Amino acid sequence: MTIATILRRGTVLFVLIALVIFFSLNSDRFLQERNLVNIAVQNAHIIIVTVGMTLVMLSGGIDLSIGSVAALTGAVAAGLIVQNSVPVPLAMLLGLALGFAIGLINGWMVVYGKLPPFVATLAMLGMARGLTLVYTNGRPIANIGDEFTFWGRGTIGPIPTPIVVWVVVVIVAILLMTRTRFGLHIYAIGGNEETARLAGVPVNRVKMLTFGISGFLAALGGLLLTARVFSAQPQAAVGLELDAITAAVLGGVSLFGGVGNIPGAIIGALLVGVLGNGMNLLRVASYPQQVIQGVVLVLAVTIDMYTKRLERGAPKT
Amino acid sequence: MLKMTTDLPLLSVRNITKAFGAVQALQGISFDIAPGEVVALVGDNGAGKSTLVKIISGLYKASSGEFALRGQTCHFETPADALKAGIETVYQDLALIDQLDVADNVYLGREVLRGSGFLGRLFGVLNRATMRRETAAALSQLHIKIPAPTMPVRMMSGGQRLAVAIGRAVTWGRELLILDEPTAALGVEETEQVLRMIEELRQKQRMTFMIISHNMQDVYRVADKIVILRQGRHVATLRKTETTLEEIVAYITGAKQKRVER
Repeated sequence: MTIATILRRGTVLFVLIALVIFFSLNSDRFLQERNLVNIAVQNAHIIIVTVGMTLVMLSGGIDLSIGSVAALTGAVAAGLIVQNSVPVPLAMLLGLALGFAIGLINGWMVVYGKLPPFVATLAMLGMARGLTLVYTNGRPIANIGDEFTFWGRGTIGPIPTPIVVWVVVVIVAILLMTRTRFGLHIYAIGGNEETARLAGVPVNRVKMLTFGISGFLAALGGLLLTARVFSAQPQAAVGLELDAITAAVLGGVSLFGGVGNIPGAIIGALLVGVLGNGMNLLRVASYPQQVIQGVVLVLAVTIDMYTKRLERGAPKT
Repeated sequence: MLKMTTDLPLLSVRNITKAFGAVQALQGISFDIAPGEVVALVGDNGAGKSTLVKIISGLYKASSGEFALRGQTCHFETPADALKAGIETVYQDLALIDQLDVADNVYLGREVLRGSGFLGRLFGVLNRATMRRETAAALSQLHIKIPAPTMPVRMMSGGQRLAVAIGRAVTWGRELLILDEPTAALGVEETEQVLRMIEELRQKQRMTFMIISHNMQDVYRVADKIVILRQGRHVATLRKTETTLEEIVAYITGAKQKRVER
């Protein structure tokens, strides 16, 4: 393994470690257990939807509807609990089912409607947000009750619930992508859809299911977010899909499909989370924070591309 | 009955036509391929070679006419149906997936799973150890040298990739191997290796081949029979022993006119 290979495999990890060192030198609070746990809790929904986004991107697609779907499913679950007195577990299951169904509709538009994933899920971004506003009349749904907030604020043993949930999601996703036929098919389709089809891969079914999973995970993220902030906000999770894309791209997931993996994307998501948290501790105002996030994204991806080229010896088209 | 099956052509193409809108891509193509025979399908660009291959490999449906495998008329809805029937196609550009390793490529679409029970099938847990071991065994039997079955395909040379693609096709193809422009992107030495592989497979394993090629030297060397298309029409079927390179080229360019025999 050459130095370039090591660099490439770990670019984002190095950036993450560098940030951790920088913030711990500049803030006493950064490395405190409370703050680290905070980062892992506050970013739970981002990590979870990043997993879904990564699956879709590995198959060569993109899912822009994630933020809207998270808001809609969170609102519907909260509404069912508060307005219709539906038992909490059932309301949450219905929310997850709704997310899965919306994802399948996305997949259906892409596979059978032949729409580019960008267009299909952009349309769903608008539709799902609109439905959220219609359902909530544009007002938050509060008083969601302790049984629901457990999923955002509670603990299982000593560990906060959202952390348990995202760790389970990440482990399942890693096993799915590295050990199963479904994962192999996702990589194959992202690598070359036509070749995969010719080899007998059930391309349509796999793509539908991939969008379905992304919708399901968007719903799960939406439920955790709703539970953590005690209420369903009609404008919740605006731009969440962009956080997920940023995390995945930082983690080495190709926008063209077939290249990347779940651990990389998770490191990317943690990097985004650490950056935000650190800047808050250093009292960087929120407007310049967005500028800095953009700069970090460009820098990390540029370094990544540069080291990839070093490794390969020559640029490849 | 036994005699009948041995006399049957392996593949029998009967009067196949294909229209794309107003364009007649194929206008009544008929020929037979005997078991163990190497048939070359030649013609200039736009002659309809690729269209015919795509019909036989289940990607397109013929507008009219039919084809039969060992006397059984084929109705392929998808490429997977053709694969199930034992027809393997190595496409020019679409042979392998760069991002996957050799073993995953060889087994793509036909993965070996761990546990045949309900759970095993539901989650589809891959048995990669078996896939890698079998790939290494199959390729070494074909004298295909690759560093390791875990090597990503993108790091291999054009010749290595084609060898793996053919290896994959040989592993699965029980009946017919279709090679689409197998030597088009290869150097001299790699071309030689591939041609030798084809000759060996047909001698030792009685594999049946249909080869599409622009390279007349290659065709002339390995083929028993040459089917020539020109502008969607079938202009000649020639036995190599009864023709010359010049005659084949004359048919392709239209300098010589239709003569069809079996």
